[in-house]
Amino acid sequence: MNTSMKSLVIIPAYNEEASILETVEDIRKNAPEFDYIVVNDCSTDQTLEVCRQNGIRVLSLPVNLGIGGAVQTGYVYAYENGYDEAVQFDGDGQHDAAFLNRMRDHMRKEGIDLLIGSRFIEGEGFQSTGLRRFGIRYFDRLIFGLTRQRITDPTSGMRMADRRMIRMFAESYPKDYPEPESVVAAIQSGMKVEEYPVVMRERQKGESSISPIRSVYYMIKVTLAILVERLRRKEYGK
Amino acid sequence: MMTLKLQLIVGAVMLVALFVIFYMVKKRSIDLKYALSWLAVIIFVLVLDCFPRLLDRLSRALGVFSPVNMIFFLGFCFSLLIIFTLTVIVSRMSERIRKLSQAVALNEEKLQCLEKAVAGKAKEREQETDTKAGQREDP
Repeated sequence: MNTSMKSLVIIPAYNEEASILETVEDIRKNAPEFDYIVVNDCSTDQTLEVCRQNGIRVLSLPVNLGIGGAVQTGYVYAYENGYDEAVQFDGDGQHDAAFLNRMRDHMRKEGIDLLIGSRFIEGEGFQSTGLRRFGIRYFDRLIFGLTRQRITDPTSGMRMADRRMIRMFAESYPKDYPEPESVVAAIQSGMKVEEYPVVMRERQKGESSISPIRSVYYMIKVTLAILVERLRRKEYGK
Repeated sequence: MMTLKLQLIVGAVMLVALFVIFYMVKKRSIDLKYALSWLAVIIFVLVLDCFPRLLDRLSRALGVFSPVNMIFFLGFCFSLLIIFTLTVIVSRMSERIRKLSQAVALNEEKLQCLEKAVAGKAKEREQETDTKAGQREDP
């Protein structure tokens, strides 16, 4: 395997002062070959200070852009700094860095452009709660109906992109609730999208960006976004 | 026909609006570029308000019975047009803000790296001169 290839972990963080160190420690220990960078989405707590004090590289946004804009900053960084793979990794302790190496190896071997860590392939670990699972299944069906490709965990925030995918995401990435939409965009653009079985934990601290009150808005907005995405022309055809 | 009373009320409201907009442009709290469309609407309504004959003719041409309804209808259409234009502008601006903030974050990170590198170099040089000075004192 080419040792000059480098991979980056993008950790979007909004008010994660309580868990950011644990997340970074997890990556240092379980995925030491990966570089990592925190994208601080204008946190109002001490996230930035905690990172700086511990010598963690940070991209600090001057205004709050939301998860899409934050993650995209990481992709722009990965693109500009010549990374071959970039993986999104939540800063709240949901994701397990032990899967990163395996995901990367699988990705390189199979020539995959976007590899999504899915909780539902093997059904181990935290399986999300009732209503949320219903929503995830709905998006699974919707995406399958539109693209003929099965994505069991379209809302997963753990996804690894190769150079081609990094470039596309650096250029355009959905703003809010970006996960299902960006999967469809990738498939639409002729990218090879696959899933890899992972185990996730229940979030330890912090709150989901999707509160129950907003879930109806979320469903409608993401459904429309996916439909619009389906209508867009292919721009990254092979 | 429009009653004189309504004519006066519409005219007064329009004049107040005109004054407020001019005042805000003067104070630079709104951009003249975006005030122009509002000014156009106000002037259009004012002209029709001052010359009801014109309004009568226009409403007859478009098949609207009441000239008063005509004035409201046209004003409403213009307003919608302006609001929609603003939606387009807001979208474009939020896109620009996103790009700008990302550029700021990326540049700041570069700056941090540079500062660290410079500080490292300075320390190295300090140590070098220290050892040199030590050597000179040695013999």
